[in-house]
Amino acid sequence: MFFHIVLERNMQLHPRHFGPHLRDKLVSKLIKDVEGTCSGRHGFVVAITGVEDVGKGLIREGTGFVTFPVKYQCVVFRPFKGEILEAVVTMVNKMGFFAEAGPVQIFVSNHLIPDDMEFQSGDVPNYTTSDGSVKIQKESEVRLKIIGTRVDATEIFCIGTIKDDFLGVISDPGAAV
Amino acid sequence: MGFPRHMTTRQPRVPLHLSLVRPIRRRWRRLGRRPACDATRHPPRPPYALSGNRNSGSPSSQCAGCCVMALQPSIEPFNRLVRLAARAFYDDVSMKGDNQPKTSRGDNRGMAVVVLDALTRYRIYIICVVSAVSLSYDLHGRSRLEFARFALEAEFAQDTRPWVREEDLAKALKLHSKQLRRILRFFEEEKLVTRDHRKENAKGTKQHNTAAAAASDGQPVTNKEGEEKVKMHTHSYCCLDYAQICDVVRYRIHRMKKKLKDELDSRNTIQHYICPSCNKRYSAFDALQLVSFTDEYFHCEICNGELVAESDKLASEEMGDGDDNARKRRREKLKDMQQRIEEQLKPLVAQLDRVKNLPAPEFGSLQTWERANIGAFPNGDLGAADSSRNSQGQYGTPMPYMGETKVEVEMLGDGVKEEGAESGKNGSELKVLPPWMIKDGMNLTKEQRGETSKASQFGENSEVKDDKKQDSKDDQSIQEEYIKAYYEALKKKHDEASNNKVKTEVDIPVSDSQSERQVGKKYKREDDDEGIEWEEQQHTGNSTETYKLADLNAEAQESGDDEDDNEWEDG
Repeated sequence: MFFHIVLERNMQLHPRHFGPHLRDKLVSKLIKDVEGTCSGRHGFVVAITGVEDVGKGLIREGTGFVTFPVKYQCVVFRPFKGEILEAVVTMVNKMGFFAEAGPVQIFVSNHLIPDDMEFQSGDVPNYTTSDGSVKIQKESEVRLKIIGTRVDATEIFCIGTIKDDFLGVISDPGAAV
Repeated sequence: MGFPRHMTTRQPRVPLHLSLVRPIRRRWRRLGRRPACDATRHPPRPPYALSGNRNSGSPSSQCAGCCVMALQPSIEPFNRLVRLAARAFYDDVSMKGDNQPKTSRGDNRGMAVVVLDALTRYRIYIICVVSAVSLSYDLHGRSRLEFARFALEAEFAQDTRPWVREEDLAKALKLHSKQLRRILRFFEEEKLVTRDHRKENAKGTKQHNTAAAAASDGQPVTNKEGEEKVKMHTHSYCCLDYAQICDVVRYRIHRMKKKLKDELDSRNTIQHYICPSCNKRYSAFDALQLVSFTDEYFHCEICNGELVAESDKLASEEMGDGDDNARKRRREKLKDMQQRIEEQLKPLVAQLDRVKNLPAPEFGSLQTWERANIGAFPNGDLGAADSSRNSQGQYGTPMPYMGETKVEVEMLGDGVKEEGAESGKNGSELKVLPPWMIKDGMNLTKEQRGETSKASQFGENSEVKDDKKQDSKDDQSIQEEYIKAYYEALKKKHDEASNNKVKTEVDIPVSDSQSERQVGKKYKREDDDEGIEWEEQQHTGNSTETYKLADLNAEAQESGDDEDDNEWEDG
């Protein structure tokens, strides 16, 4: 789920940036530092949408670095248990398949894949129904439900299932070609 | 719902012919049976057999002479729910302490059920002292009045006592209080029971007891005072929390079903993997690290062995071979389990549904409950304090938390006179009335026509007393004998009537005074009504002669229904 929230961070700026573009430098450094990171509490920071407030800088003795407390608005993405996501399959093996929903890695193990889908090894490993109408392979888009999340300081990993109503493949790369 | 289970004679004084025993016993029992309280079938109410509540307009006041226990209707379904839940879920809960060696105590599984059961019906022992006046003959054929006392130990399964002191409960269950506490703590965790602890001295205890007494419990008020005067003790009280129990049980069932269903669909279960060589376990969360790019399997981080999916715990016993087979078997097992759950929990679920729309009884906290009851107490009879003896007083007291629960045991213990006996018979034709109910009426009539009484009294007395001794089945022969004897006695009396009139009349005043005194003591409220009703009584008394015979027959026939009696005994 996405949230638009305000976060705060202390930015250290090298003295060489002190000058007329100090503020721009600060923002660009903030974006570079923060976007794409993950915090266990808020999830992935997807994008910074604005800087609310830059506090007074504090010059650190010895180094000359200045610390600015910066408040910024950002969009974060945090997966929750029970949430329905759409994801792209990245890898398929006998144990299940991996998919990505933006920055989030999701693993769907084979017992959470509908029973009528069988693993087919080969050049393009895939899960296929007996009549071959539905196929899950690399680059397939699937809709899945998250049944478990593990949130680390730097990473969020999810377990998903497609064994439920209205879950499964939503677009098949093979069919499109 | 219990009615008197056993009656014991305390002072059997009059030697009796055993054959006279049965009929009265029958009447006695019918007393206790609720169906017998049908107002339409009742004979005119014997004047003295009325409880203090007779004017209250409650249904019970219509069937004088019957034990009426009007339970508040709304609590029984909840109790049933608790009992069912106890059996369903707490049947095999073992309360062994962790430090306790397993062999030291016997298996105490099932204790939990017992305790819960006990909480649903905290038993109240009521001893009603019923005194009946009996006549015995001396050698001159003079009648002597004797009082026979019956202690009627009525065990009323009542739900009246929400807050129970744990010591009392332990005593009642003959459990060690520690053991009981362990069980109760368990139930507290399970949210079935609320407990309260407080430090209190004798006064506090007494307060509770008074409250309990006001709530119609039979615990003697004075039992604890002596020891506790000096020290403060921490006492624990416990109480069933019906509202929460409903929720807890419903939630528990829901969880059970959901878990099984999920398991059946293997939905929402996170797969675990195990390394067969080093037994290291991984969950699906580790999948990213376990992926091998050389083949399709997960590999152990340590030994690089191929990981095997671990099957769910429920089916783990039969696991081992091929994936599909195991899955199939597991599904079957789960399905079976699901079915059995449906089936076995059906009564419980039904009861839950029944209870769903009823307001759960609320007792409030210990303090509020006590306050409420103590508040009610002064309004009640004085007898309420002496709860072990005066049942009427107790039950006259309204219980604030339950609405009015009334248990009225209405009996008249005093002088059984001949009229009474007769009217009793009248009663038995129509419906069974215990003879002692009618006594007072008898006294009056006896003065008017004293003769007939002897025989009947003789019969009664003997019956009453031998009741207890004789548990034999009722056989027809006994009934017939009784009837014969009865007739003979009647005849005899008629013959003697003219001769003995003077003597009996001499005796009568004594008996009257005695009986009346007793009536006055025990049933104060009834006094007002006496004058009016006596006249009715007289009428019945006069008319008795003619249909006595019919009565007797009826009695004899009716006596056959022992089965019915058993019914309420079990109850």
